[in-house]
Amino acid sequence: MTFAVELLGISKHFGAVAALDNVSLSVEKGTIHALVGENGAGKTTLMRVLYGALQPDSGEVKLDDQPHTFKNSKDAIQHGIGMVSQHYGIIPALTCLQNLILGAEGGPIVKVSEAKKRADELAKRMGFEFDWDSDAETLSPAGAQKLEILKLLWRNAKVMILDEPTAMLSPSDSEALFASLRKLVDEGATVILVTHRLPEVMDHCKTVTVLRGGKLISSHPVSEVTDRSLAELIVGGSLVEPPVIEPVRDLGIALDISKIVVKDDRRHDVLKGLDLQVKRGEVVGIAGVDGSGQRELFQALLGVRKIDSGSVSIDDQEVTNWSSAKRLQFGLRLIAEDRHEEGVIEDWSLEDNAILGLQRLEPIQKSLFISTPDRHKWAEVVAEKFSTKHGGLNQPMRTLSGGNQQRFVAARALEMSPKLILAFQPARGLDLNGTADVYAAIREKCKAGASALVVSFDLDELLIHCDRIVAMNRGELRQPKPEEARDRQAIGRLMVGAQ
Amino acid sequence: MNGKITALIAGALAILATGLLISGVSPMEATKTLFQGSLGSLGAFSGTLKETAPLLILGLGVYIALKAGLFNIGVEGQFLVGATLAATVGLRVQGPVGILLSILVACLGGMLWALPAGLIKAYRNGHEVITTIMMNYVAGRFTDFLVQGPLKAAGSQEASTADLATDTRIPALINSGAFELGWSICVGVIGVIMLWFWMRKTVAGYELQAVGANPTASKFAGISAKKIQVWAMSLSGGIAGIAGAFQVLAYEGRFYQGFSPGYGFDALGVALLAGNSAIGLIPASLLFGILAKGGVSLQANGVPKGITSVVLGAMILVAASIRFRSVKSGD
Repeated sequence: MTFAVELLGISKHFGAVAALDNVSLSVEKGTIHALVGENGAGKTTLMRVLYGALQPDSGEVKLDDQPHTFKNSKDAIQHGIGMVSQHYGIIPALTCLQNLILGAEGGPIVKVSEAKKRADELAKRMGFEFDWDSDAETLSPAGAQKLEILKLLWRNAKVMILDEPTAMLSPSDSEALFASLRKLVDEGATVILVTHRLPEVMDHCKTVTVLRGGKLISSHPVSEVTDRSLAELIVGGSLVEPPVIEPVRDLGIALDISKIVVKDDRRHDVLKGLDLQVKRGEVVGIAGVDGSGQRELFQALLGVRKIDSGSVSIDDQEVTNWSSAKRLQFGLRLIAEDRHEEGVIEDWSLEDNAILGLQRLEPIQKSLFISTPDRHKWAEVVAEKFSTKHGGLNQPMRTLSGGNQQRFVAARALEMSPKLILAFQPARGLDLNGTADVYAAIREKCKAGASALVVSFDLDELLIHCDRIVAMNRGELRQPKPEEARDRQAIGRLMVGAQ
Repeated sequence: MNGKITALIAGALAILATGLLISGVSPMEATKTLFQGSLGSLGAFSGTLKETAPLLILGLGVYIALKAGLFNIGVEGQFLVGATLAATVGLRVQGPVGILLSILVACLGGMLWALPAGLIKAYRNGHEVITTIMMNYVAGRFTDFLVQGPLKAAGSQEASTADLATDTRIPALINSGAFELGWSICVGVIGVIMLWFWMRKTVAGYELQAVGANPTASKFAGISAKKIQVWAMSLSGGIAGIAGAFQVLAYEGRFYQGFSPGYGFDALGVALLAGNSAIGLIPASLLFGILAKGGVSLQANGVPKGITSVVLGAMILVAASIRFRSVKSGD
């Protein structure tokens, strides 16, 4: 067995925290190797060590049996190691070709025709098609992902690290991606797949390595593990049982969206007469590829994006022309998509953040004033709900890890008498049990009379946790047929607009 | 923050001493002159307070906008507009009614002068720094023109309005001959305390600061960021207008060409030095006042007055870099 990459006894400390503690990883040449673990398990840190972006405190990196020390990521790519991170490095204003060659132009003067020729060859090899002169902003998430892979091939990468590559892709796009990865592997390349989607590991990878708390837990051929055993290795204990989905009792319509037309930032109609009803007590999931109109729908429901025509009613009260402040007072609650930009004020304390969006609600507001004792009590409730780890409620929000921020933000939206919960990727950055906890809390609120509309790019997550799933494609909602209501493949087809 | 301010003051004094050594003056002697000239006697202290008053009120105006995420460089212009209006109204309506009316009109004038910058920022995303600088030029030239022509006192040699009648002036709160305490400084201090309380305890204060800290998150929290930006800018201008009115009614008794020695620009430094709490405006403006008043005594002893501006400039740079570092280390 020849190894393309070996990481031996890697340790890395940040201050007093051991992010990696004597971790080893051997990746066989010409295979897809999965690296799994919860958030904070050390996956990304380990990959950054391999990629040259971090220097380990101790340990050795071997490439084709030769010890190597990469000074930086440029050095690593020159030795054939490339990484596609979760957030693509595509610059929307440049053309696809410019993005492809950016930073690896091969000289001060770009020979466009030669570059295009080589780009076409690479694309053909992978079975991709690109209009090299069009702007990269026209690319779908799947297209951007493909371009990222071509960027690595352009730089002659032999070892590719892909961090959650399917997070933004539909099931069919994911299948296509793995088909291309197989092709690459057959040609002798090596792929390290960082993922939390276990079906991908089971279906496409040869070996799987589990990290937990910065330590190596196990490394097995995939043929020797099951979904369940792998999940337990990741969590390090038993799993929270998934909820039993029972039929929702008919208590009337809580959210009635009727034929709304909404424009996107470029003034194009993105929702063209969308209809949706959510029953009281129901948790409805919206499945779809990123950019299908989920963002605009949520903003329109919250009242921060104009509804050009149509109407929205919550609990039989029309709210179409209400300000977002009034909607929040009425009982609308949001778990925002972009936590950093939309959900919190990072420089502010946890206590000040606890009332953001709730500042005009009882008991926080007392006439013109903020009730400081109530704010403090409320912040304690929010922090305790999902056991947010923090160093004091007076500490700035930015001192929290992403997962802990998400716990805090989710609790804030759920605990103050919600009527309608809008949750955009409510489990973003949470581990398996954390995800289950947040969805369980949403379900509990819905049992008590609220309703929830959930957007996630992870169809499996919605299948486990929602009462009903609708698919969104190009601003339109599609209901799956009753007999296919929980059929992964059928919903996947609706997500990409197929029948 | 208070420790940092102390360190800053020490640093500034060190720079001052070095500068003085270079220009061949004994630093000890000069420092003594500076403090004697500003704090050494009741009379000197009165003068320092007089210099401090407009800086404190203007600093308050800059600070409100700053907390809403807006840098109002236009307080200089809003101050001039307020002062011109106060003098104009005060010359026509006399007595206590005239005083109140002058302040009110000056406040409205300052608000209106700042309003376009607020509207352009909120609804057209035009940067308020650019628009307020432009409005400063317009205000400067326009008030010059008014005082050279339409508002010029009959028979006056210089570009100045007539003097206000004694009963249209705001008398000193305390005047013992040796020591004088004006109303302006009290208004400034009360304003600071009110603002401090408003920011900490009211929902509106919370929302204003949320807009300043993260406009997008504010929008998602049901806060109308645009409205708050427009109001904060106008309020900032209104306060600058009030500062102009007090300068006319309490100290100068008239408006003239070259009325402001740059109070509006010094106030930017006051607001930046104040740090995270509005209370910080009081020591920050007092520091500016001490250097301004002490600088006059230095000049009398043959040291260029500009040395104090150098000190202030150095301190603001240090303050800005301390802030920058704390932002970076947060990552």
